[in-house]
Amino acid sequence: MPNDDGSLIKLDGIHKWFGDTHVLKGVDLALDPGQVQVIVGPSGSGKSTLLRCVNLLELPTEGHVWFDGNDITDVRTDINGVRTNIGIVFQAYNLFPHMNVLKNITVALEKVLNVTSGEAKERAMEQLRHVGLDDRADAHPGQLSGGQQQRVAIARALAMRPRLMLFDEVTSALDPELVGEVLAVIRELAEEGMTMMVVTHEMGFAREVGTWMVFMDDGVIAERGEPKAMFANPQTERLQTFLSQVL
Amino acid sequence: MATVTAEDNLLPPETRGTPSAFSWSVTVAGAMAVGLVLVGTILIQITFALGPATVTPRCVEAGIRPDNPEETGADGVCDIVEGLESGSQTVTLYLSLGIGAYAVVAGFGAYRSMRTRRRRDQCIAGAALGIQAIAIAGFILWFRTGEIGIFFFQFANAHFLQGTFDAFARGAVNTMKLAVVGELGGIAIGLILALLAISKRAVVRAPARAYINLFRGTPLILQLSLAYFGVILGLQIQAGAITVAMIVLALNTGAYAAEVFRAGLQSIERGQMEAARSLGMSYLQAMRYAIVPQAVRRVIPPLMNEFVILIKDTSLVAVLGLTFAEYELYATGRELYSTNLNATPFIAVAIAYLVVTLPLIGLVNIAERHLRSGLVGIGGEH
Repeated sequence: MPNDDGSLIKLDGIHKWFGDTHVLKGVDLALDPGQVQVIVGPSGSGKSTLLRCVNLLELPTEGHVWFDGNDITDVRTDINGVRTNIGIVFQAYNLFPHMNVLKNITVALEKVLNVTSGEAKERAMEQLRHVGLDDRADAHPGQLSGGQQQRVAIARALAMRPRLMLFDEVTSALDPELVGEVLAVIRELAEEGMTMMVVTHEMGFAREVGTWMVFMDDGVIAERGEPKAMFANPQTERLQTFLSQVL
Repeated sequence: MATVTAEDNLLPPETRGTPSAFSWSVTVAGAMAVGLVLVGTILIQITFALGPATVTPRCVEAGIRPDNPEETGADGVCDIVEGLESGSQTVTLYLSLGIGAYAVVAGFGAYRSMRTRRRRDQCIAGAALGIQAIAIAGFILWFRTGEIGIFFFQFANAHFLQGTFDAFARGAVNTMKLAVVGELGGIAIGLILALLAISKRAVVRAPARAYINLFRGTPLILQLSLAYFGVILGLQIQAGAITVAMIVLALNTGAYAAEVFRAGLQSIERGQMEAARSLGMSYLQAMRYAIVPQAVRRVIPPLMNEFVILIKDTSLVAVLGLTFAEYELYATGRELYSTNLNATPFIAVAIAYLVVTLPLIGLVNIAERHLRSGLVGIGGEH
């Protein structure tokens, strides 16, 4: 039952209620290692909630999340340990404003993974080079542009050496001219074979980077397939309408 | 970071226009009226203080007893009375009233018809100063109609402060000991209570809420009395009054600090907790490394405000049975009052509290400005 189909992550019958609001209405989704799952859909369709159910930032009201053979929705699971294997990048960056860039990255390495401070710094600098910001290690988040902050947030998640990366509309808060630098980092990650789930409004990027795509509408997956095929030949009327509005 | 160019160093253009002779006259009149009543009154006082110290018939008429002036300070008090009742004081007051009235009438009457912003500002500034001058001069005129001889003998008699410096210094030290220990203990208790009070579990919140409401809902003077008389006299547990007072002040401050910390913790964006948790931190680790350090920075100004309040509240400790060496500022003043039956020490106590609290209040304002830089008061022109 768990990930014996070779999947790394598997969502099984996920429902989520916020009070009286039924946000997710039975979602099944699985992703194999090295693949990129993009999730698109109109706002309010539940795509961010679905992504946040993957690392249990939102606890599904019903259903199970399987990660690497374990049911992480089981109350006995050490969720903190699981989360070190699942990185997430938020729309609002959520860097720690009272720490400099380097400390933002090393704090969890040292306090959660018990990496020595020397090695933590090495790993942090390696990731900062990866996103092209090794010269800003001493800066505080408030001194960086939105695009730079988001790249630091990506480096912070990657330094944990996660096996799965989640991206939650990471370019939505950015000025248009800064979107490209962030997408370039994610594109490079995809090429390196990182397993990723990406919620995005950037349709061109979704088509280019996704192995698979799901279109969410009103709390369910309305259509799924390969991005190129879905863009070229949408099967459902809802996706056709959506694409005509955003493209 | 933006580089500073030569242009940035230039002053912004002056857009408020030119002043006029009239608008200048209003501002100057207002400033003169205030300056006259303040500086004039002080100069007259200095003149009389430097002159011969004798108890004049006028002072006797004003209620000062002429016998043994050296032992009652009556001669010094008489200088104050003489100065206030002198003819030059009267001239000063009426002159200030007149000039102030001109500034008010001219300023408020004409500011709407001024052609430039600068002139309008000058008219309003002059009128505002004029009102202040009228208020001060009017107050002194009213004050002079009372028995000022008796008043100053009771409240401004430097004679009764002679040789009291050591007592006040010790009182100030004791006040600050109580306040600092109370504040430090209160901050520790408050932070723990706040962390409990924001728990999602009602069973964890409940005891914290009960504690906070209990201490915020009863008067500090009652808490001090109950702890002191209940613990020492009731339970017969040996503890000094100051020790009990420090503990009660810390417990009480803890309840208020808890509410300050709670507001500070809840003001941190939800995303900070999510980011920390998503990196694998436990709830306590996320609190310790991500949330609390940010919250502490935000609550420094309100905590300093609480500290100012606590400094003043230490005066309530005087209701406990203190030994002379334990007297804080208020008890020191009270003791000196009952020794001499003269209230001047209370004025000295007030000044001593202000010496400590005014710089602290200034620090709070600086800290607040530092935290929300860029936001100047609404209603200003900047």
